[in-house]
Amino acid sequence: MSSAVLRYSRQTLWADYIRAGAGALLCGLPLLFLEVNRWIGILLSAACLLFLLFLVRTILRQMTRYVLGPDTFAADGPAGSLVEWGRLDRLILSYYSTKRDRTGGWMQLVVRSAGARPVKVDSSLDGFYDIVERAAHAAEARKLELTRATRINLRSMGIAVAGQEEVE
Amino acid sequence: MLHYVARRLLLMIPTLFVISLLVYMIINMPPGDCVTSQIDELLARGDADALARAGELRAIYGLDHSVWYRYFHWLGGIFRWDFGLSCQDTVPVKDLIGERLALTIIMESCTILFIWTVSFVIGVYAATHQYKFGDYAASFIGFLGLAIPNFLLALVLLYVGKVYFGVSIGGLMDPEFIEQPLSWAKFVSVAQHLVIPTIVIGTSGTAGMIRRLRANLLDELQKQYVVTGRAKGLSPMKLLVKYPLRHAINPFVADIGHLLPEVVSGSVIVSVVLSLPTMGPMLLTALKTQDVNLAATFLLFVAVLTVIGMLISDLLLAALDPRIRFGAAGEK
Repeated sequence: MSSAVLRYSRQTLWADYIRAGAGALLCGLPLLFLEVNRWIGILLSAACLLFLLFLVRTILRQMTRYVLGPDTFAADGPAGSLVEWGRLDRLILSYYSTKRDRTGGWMQLVVRSAGARPVKVDSSLDGFYDIVERAAHAAEARKLELTRATRINLRSMGIAVAGQEEVE
Repeated sequence: MLHYVARRLLLMIPTLFVISLLVYMIINMPPGDCVTSQIDELLARGDADALARAGELRAIYGLDHSVWYRYFHWLGGIFRWDFGLSCQDTVPVKDLIGERLALTIIMESCTILFIWTVSFVIGVYAATHQYKFGDYAASFIGFLGLAIPNFLLALVLLYVGKVYFGVSIGGLMDPEFIEQPLSWAKFVSVAQHLVIPTIVIGTSGTAGMIRRLRANLLDELQKQYVVTGRAKGLSPMKLLVKYPLRHAINPFVADIGHLLPEVVSGSVIVSVVLSLPTMGPMLLTALKTQDVNLAATFLLFVAVLTVIGMLISDLLLAALDPRIRFGAAGEK
């Protein structure tokens, strides 16, 4: 199996930049141009800071390239990390949605090998399915205990992990 | 999670803006304004200068400007904690709502804590003792709570308290503490008076929660993994807490968002009946007299509480149970 280089699509990154910019502006402009009560100011500052963190995270994502190899998965960029499938000790697959009926959401995969920093990727990353499938096989080989949410999310993607089938 | 929190917060901002706009415009829709009713009152008292004073009053309240101007003026003032003038005695809204807002928040928080605590204990007991006396008793209490309107329960308790025990259970503190600064004695008085309103307002919410928790926990307890765990000799407590309770509690968490507005709106009539100095009775008066700034401010607080409640419940759910529901579109 050869290595594949994966990146977030330009469309996804731009959508996140717009979200971060809009949030920072909506919370920051009143602080700059209006006389603001102290407590409301603290709330707006906290929200503004959160959107700025989101902006930094998006910049980091744009600067990072992900390399999926037969034995490793690397996040190559600032604050990058390396996951060795043979030493995998954490696999968490979560699903998030901002809608009440929980449709139209996205998945987030967190993988880590012993002693290293975890790597987090979202389902908007090109080749996300391949990474999850590879991680699931590594978890199966390492006999990792997965959470119920992770097992259900894996099953929804059509990926089964032997010995950890979920009964609804 | 940062991605989720940012997207959820970003949705909150336009939501609150649209709610504030709708609330302000709808309160403004009926013909007339707060000055009209004041002038009618003065004319009824035989004040000949009443009509001449109408223009002056309208200028004081800013009613000579367009509704859009008034809306944006009110909205801009919110950032300074200035909600404009109320037509009731021409005082700033923030002075009127000051202590009432604090008492409302204290009362609603106690009510929500009461609902959670009581319904959690009774719901778990009823599910683990299905078809036993305790289960039937909990179901009976649940149905009673659902069937009896809060205001009726308040009236009954007022009557029983006065006739059989000779005590007045109205109000949120003893009369000597009204308009007094906060002290330990006042705090104790408020805490004593909180018991009855908390029970009255919380009963219906508790009843609904007990039934939901019982049903969810019963569903979980009948699943195969629980039977397997029992067969392998897991202790009953561990078997209950480890998975079934954690899964059954999800709808409980999801209800936080709905609970806040339900409790706030459900307490309005009870507050009138029990003479509670909360914001509910003031809202009623404000709506009747078309006191737009006061009514819109109160309703905006309810909206903010609702949106914050929804945010808390969504964040807790995302942290507790980040799994896809079948039928939902999974991947992008």
